[in-house]
Amino acid sequence: MKTVAIIWRLCAISFLFGGTIYADETAVLSQAEKTYQTLCSHCHGLKMVNPGTSSYDLRRWPKNDRAGFYASVINGKNSMPAWGDVLLPGEIELLWYYVKTRAGKEPASFEQDAKEPDQNSVDGPDETSDLFTTPGTLVACLAKNGGVMSGRRAKGGTGLDYELSRALAEALGVALDVRWFESEQDEESTPVKEAYALLAYKVCDIFPGFALYEMFVDDFDVARAALPRWDMRPQSLEQRVHVDLRPISVTHPYARMEMGVVYRNSEFERKIQKISDMEGLKIGVEQGTLAGVLTLRQGTEKMVSDSVTRNPGPKFLWQMEQGEFDAALTTTGAYDFHKKQNVMSTLILGAYRHPLGINLSIAMLESKKALRDIINPLIDAMVKDGTMAQLGARASHTYAHPRKPWLLPRLTLQTLLTLK
Amino acid sequence: MPIPHLNGAFVAMLALSLIAPKTTLAQSTSDLINDTKDTTTILTYGMGYGQTRHSGLRGINLDNIGRLRPEWTYSLSDTRGQETFPLIHDGKMYVTTHASTMALDLVTGRQIWKTLVDYPADTPRVACCGIVNRGVALYEGKVFRTTLDAHVIALDAETGNELWRTQSIDHKTGYSMTVAPMMADGVLITGISGGEYGIRGYLEGYDPDTGVRVWRTYTIPAPGEPGSETWQDGGDAWTRGGAPTWLTGSYDPELNTVFWGTGNPSSWNAATRPGDNLYASSILALDPKTGTIKWHYQTTPNDPFDFDTVNELVHADIDGRKVLMQANRNGFFYVLDRATGELIAAPKFVDKLNWADSIDLETGRPKETDVAMKARSGEQITFWPSALGGKNWSPMAYNPKTRTIFANTNKFGMHYKAVEPQYRPGVFYFGAEFSWDWPDGDRGELRAFDPMTGVVKWSDSIAIPRYSGILSTDGGLVFTGNMDGEFEAFNAETGDKVWTYSTGSGIIGQPVTWEREGKQYITVANGSGGVYSLFSGDERLASVPAGGNIWTFSIVE
Repeated sequence: MKTVAIIWRLCAISFLFGGTIYADETAVLSQAEKTYQTLCSHCHGLKMVNPGTSSYDLRRWPKNDRAGFYASVINGKNSMPAWGDVLLPGEIELLWYYVKTRAGKEPASFEQDAKEPDQNSVDGPDETSDLFTTPGTLVACLAKNGGVMSGRRAKGGTGLDYELSRALAEALGVALDVRWFESEQDEESTPVKEAYALLAYKVCDIFPGFALYEMFVDDFDVARAALPRWDMRPQSLEQRVHVDLRPISVTHPYARMEMGVVYRNSEFERKIQKISDMEGLKIGVEQGTLAGVLTLRQGTEKMVSDSVTRNPGPKFLWQMEQGEFDAALTTTGAYDFHKKQNVMSTLILGAYRHPLGINLSIAMLESKKALRDIINPLIDAMVKDGTMAQLGARASHTYAHPRKPWLLPRLTLQTLLTLK
Repeated sequence: MPIPHLNGAFVAMLALSLIAPKTTLAQSTSDLINDTKDTTTILTYGMGYGQTRHSGLRGINLDNIGRLRPEWTYSLSDTRGQETFPLIHDGKMYVTTHASTMALDLVTGRQIWKTLVDYPADTPRVACCGIVNRGVALYEGKVFRTTLDAHVIALDAETGNELWRTQSIDHKTGYSMTVAPMMADGVLITGISGGEYGIRGYLEGYDPDTGVRVWRTYTIPAPGEPGSETWQDGGDAWTRGGAPTWLTGSYDPELNTVFWGTGNPSSWNAATRPGDNLYASSILALDPKTGTIKWHYQTTPNDPFDFDTVNELVHADIDGRKVLMQANRNGFFYVLDRATGELIAAPKFVDKLNWADSIDLETGRPKETDVAMKARSGEQITFWPSALGGKNWSPMAYNPKTRTIFANTNKFGMHYKAVEPQYRPGVFYFGAEFSWDWPDGDRGELRAFDPMTGVVKWSDSIAIPRYSGILSTDGGLVFTGNMDGEFEAFNAETGDKVWTYSTGSGIIGQPVTWEREGKQYITVANGSGGVYSLFSGDERLASVPAGGNIWTFSIVE
């Protein structure tokens, strides 16, 4: 489910520590060491020295496998527990710094981290500045497993992003062609990387559903990414081919992804104005997601101790349906999708929305700025005249208007603790 | 062991056990009390309620030790550290890992039943010092154990089927259990771990039949309760005050008193919790039926050093007094009157100790050096012994006939600086930065010494300190194991190493001895891991494989 996944990845990859917080590398190392000692030392050894017999010897971790490290820390691996629900913003970056510098004993920057040539790396088709890669056709990349945002049907598709793509093609007077791809959340892939990879390889002209977050746009620092599978993918391409990424540009936002409180019991009525108002209920924590982190950070001590932690994904709300817990903060998109998939659902979405939300836009290559400049006024008009809300209703989507700032600034610990 | 004076409750219990149809399964209260008298069984943690780990058996002795060989081996199918204390009854041996409970055939080592323990995948986050379990308790056909996610479980001793399961507390905020529970006066008593996570420690009593909790005694008093005046921060430090109870206590049936040690106060930063911080780093005497505290003795008031006082409390009769003895993490060996808690002696049992000069026998308080003051004021200091202690959890043995303690001791210190602690539920709450102060040479020493004076009879120095328990026998032998995987026997009088056997993985288990059809056996678990392995960063351990087994040895003819 794309919405869930994007939110989840927000926690996972985006809080790079920067010069604004730390004066120099010594300060980074010192903070990294404290974080490591607090979270990791009891299994992996003080200063990362351990015999490596009962617990993994982190000094063996490949210095260029950041994605794998993040995935293991957030989701757990073998006997290693998942830490996604405990980590504060910035902590995983500090831990990765600590691991890749071997507890500060080796240099911080590594050529192989991003730049080393890779035989699996390929270039996309030649650069072109045409408005459409295929003349007369707007080609959109949409996830076939995109929840309420996009889904493939025998004829055409469904979801807000699909409806939007259709409306845009119609307004532009061209045909719509969709490249349905399989969004995969694993150690190497994130929705953002998938967007970059598909655009760089020129699989499509536009990628709707792109989250307007600073770390995904201006501060994105990944050089290569794996291409997901799409329906018309050439046989000749290797399974896990990586492509060099190219700069992208984004349109104005057309919708906003928000988080709300979902309840199990329809008889229950309670005024929720902040997360801690859920106290007294058995709370479900969606592990590793932004919603899960917010629940733990902004909930009361009692709430947290009354909570149960579950894996993110479509099963999360189903577990609430089954009675494993009574309420949870989650994305409205996750709720919409659950209702769509489970007609008999008794879950309800309360009116409360967490102030932290993310605007959605359409991404395209920077070389297609001209296309963006055509699309922007179309989107603005559709948002303003209620067309977007109608499209949302058709897609069973709890539509929310975009809100400023359009580009969500880098989240800090402060934001997570205070933005209630 | 002296014949206990029979008080009313005790007589009633005895009478009950006579009337009730007694199957071979029953381990009555009197069986438990008389554990040391029957060498064919081991019914209590520590080989007797007094935890002396000394046996009168002499079938294996200095003359035939050269012919000691494995009788059988059983794989625990687990790569974590193995600290289980084996219990033996009715032809079965009961052992545990963090993930399973097993009954083994005493003759062959064959598995009779194995019951898996499930706990949530996030539980190891709150296990500070090793994913371990220290064994079961037995009572009237039931096997009791604790789980890492802080549940107490009863299993049927015959089948391994679960009879009841009670959650002690939610593990998510830092609580866990590794302790072997204890049966005393018909009550199942357990402790809790989590001293590094800002918990509020406690002891609990359960009804062994139903799993219903009958009492909980917090080891940190709430405001207004006795002892709360020793928390002078004026805030809520007591709610995260620590004092876990993670090692099994001892029991004196005559006094009908349970003795249990408590761990460090938290955070380690003592400045955040001015006052003595009762009942952290203390020895508690409790009524097993109610959990009422009868007396307490605190070893390290306002402890800044993680000097847990959980180590085993060994009973002895010395100079006509009934005493209990503890080799404390802080490097002093405490001898207390069991009835009153009065301090009788407190010699040092390590050579290097710099945080205090001595223990004042009048006040019972340490005469601290400026190292302790500086530690509290936030200065960078080096203290000896380290937070792992002059001795860590691995239990000592006591030979009452020669009045000798045998203990595995540490010879290293710690660089330390208190810092402002950050409390986050379920993650470490140290409030200190630290690293090791290693000596040039050996880091450990097996010591034989007099409990009243600390005078060393002999010692065996070793590069990597031993973290195994010790067993003493009337065969003139002392058994222990080392981190390299050798199971070792020493001449109890001279300290000569008379026998070793390489078990293939490091030993941090607890050796026991028992008898079957007139033949003596020794059993120990091997399996590398535990606190030293995890925290020391001793890379020499990388060449010792993980993987636990139960080893049983006997003399080949």
